[in-house]
Amino acid sequence: MRLLIVPVLVPFLTVIVLALLTGRAAAQKTVALASAAGLTVFVFWLLRYVDQHGIQTMVIGGWTAPWGIAFVADRLACIMLCLSMGVGTVVTLYTFWTVEARQQEYFFYPLFQVLLLGVNWCFVTGDLFNLFVGYEVMLIGSYGVMMVGATKAQVRETTRYLAINSIGSTFFVVGCGLVYTTVGTLNLADLAARTAALGPEQAALVTAVSMLLLVVFALKAGAFPLFSWLPDSYPVVPAGVSGYVAGLLTKVGVYSLLRVFVLVFRQPGHELALQVILVLSGFTMLLGVLGAMCQWDVRRILSWHVISQVGYMVMGIGLAANASIATAAVAGTIFYVMHHIVVKSSLFLIGGIAERVSGTQELKRMGGVLDLAPGVAALFLVSAMSLAGMPPFSGFLSKLVLLRAGLGGGHYVVVAVSLVTSFLTLYSMAKIWTYVFWGRAARATPAAPYRALMVPTAGLVAATIVLGFAAEPFLRLANDAADEITRPDAYVAAVLGERRP
Amino acid sequence: MEFVMAAVVGAMFAAGTYMILRRSLIWIVMGFGMYSNATNLLLIVCGGYAPQWQAPFVGAAAPATPLMDPLPPDIILTAIVISFAVGALLLTLSYCVYLDYGTDDPEELV
Repeated sequence: MRLLIVPVLVPFLTVIVLALLTGRAAAQKTVALASAAGLTVFVFWLLRYVDQHGIQTMVIGGWTAPWGIAFVADRLACIMLCLSMGVGTVVTLYTFWTVEARQQEYFFYPLFQVLLLGVNWCFVTGDLFNLFVGYEVMLIGSYGVMMVGATKAQVRETTRYLAINSIGSTFFVVGCGLVYTTVGTLNLADLAARTAALGPEQAALVTAVSMLLLVVFALKAGAFPLFSWLPDSYPVVPAGVSGYVAGLLTKVGVYSLLRVFVLVFRQPGHELALQVILVLSGFTMLLGVLGAMCQWDVRRILSWHVISQVGYMVMGIGLAANASIATAAVAGTIFYVMHHIVVKSSLFLIGGIAERVSGTQELKRMGGVLDLAPGVAALFLVSAMSLAGMPPFSGFLSKLVLLRAGLGGGHYVVVAVSLVTSFLTLYSMAKIWTYVFWGRAARATPAAPYRALMVPTAGLVAATIVLGFAAEPFLRLANDAADEITRPDAYVAAVLGERRP
Repeated sequence: MEFVMAAVVGAMFAAGTYMILRRSLIWIVMGFGMYSNATNLLLIVCGGYAPQWQAPFVGAAAPATPLMDPLPPDIILTAIVISFAVGALLLTLSYCVYLDYGTDDPEELV
């Protein structure tokens, strides 16, 4: 299906058009929003199409897979594309009011589209080396949007982010080279078929190489022990853009872990990597939430929670080591990713509004937002309860699915850790609620106009309510997507066709 | 041959790590360059090499000698292009930081 190029091509062309419109903020806003909204409609249609007609593939330049570069859209890729473009559209709208006029005139919107381009590229590609190319495009875009404004803090933190990511990218290329040497292909479907048939000696080599890729993806996902860059760099991202960055970028790492460690590496003994992931996941959630408890800045608290939530998603991937619960656990991860992207993005957007209302980022000086802006308080309450896993919102169901899988496989320790983490998350959200929304307001009126910002934010909050109350179709979708990647026969057949080894 | 290359690649990664861990931005950029060159050399070794291998052009007749695998050089080319782009971005960035703040040590920006 040739239309698979669209999620990459549209942002690419939009970048060029926006760059030509430099200096004309109104035109740039219109083009950026129209492009993002149009692409959102397209990816939702694609999800529906793939759900009904099975996996779609496309090879570029007439070289058939596994030699040519393949684009593959299975359910998982389509779900991620929908989340990326949905949040991307909301954030584009939100930045109309939060990014300074001077930055809007110049390169803010082109850079944000570069970010969308890279993220979509990662989701739609069916080739390990192309995944690296997508990562690089995404990183260049993220350096750009993190630097918008170029304050001292932004420059300092972006430099760190940039240094640690350049190391990660190098490891990724090395990993690609070593996978190619040991297995002889980089196409994901071909890799899945070939690794399953490896002898014990080759399999051990591939397991060793997979550990290198585990480091790369864990770094990107912000998993223990490679998360130290995250809580420093996310708070400096401009409000609004941080919604997209916090929602999507670490989830690209989680997606890569799912794609590569569940679908691709199937050599005898591949469970070792998954067991390592399971141990890391426990530490990730607990240390993330403990880090959040001792912070006194809204965005820092939320950034630490990104880490602890990544722990839950990675836990589902780790549970896949146990073949009897693999599909249920991976389905839990996929549903958790859907829930988390929506809720985390909306919390960052609400945090941005609360800062505008109270005029400060410091938790102890905010106070009284409930009186100044009751609507914002309502939005926060729903998102925070959802994040902590209270019924009836999506957070409760996503945790329930994961915990049931964990208990079914007898992994009691990690289940206990995740329950403790959930309680501590509630404490942390209650802290934000007490200091930001209760208390006496330090000012009589909101510090800056905020009402327009509530429209895009409310859209995301509505999505978490829908994911909670009408979960049936989404759970079914997550289950089917998990089935596709834990039993890769259909994926391999769709990509390689007659040329299966 | 492989042993020599492995030693060279290892030495270059060590040097690159040392450079990236420095505080100055320009060292980080150069360290990144060192890293990407080390990676490209590693990929050449991964692709394998033997003097009797032919260029991978297949005519009507089946080739008499083994052919060179074209994919590793292909990957290296792409990796060079990407590291070139990222390197250019990093250099521009560090120059802009220097113009704005008069320092190339990000830790001084507090």
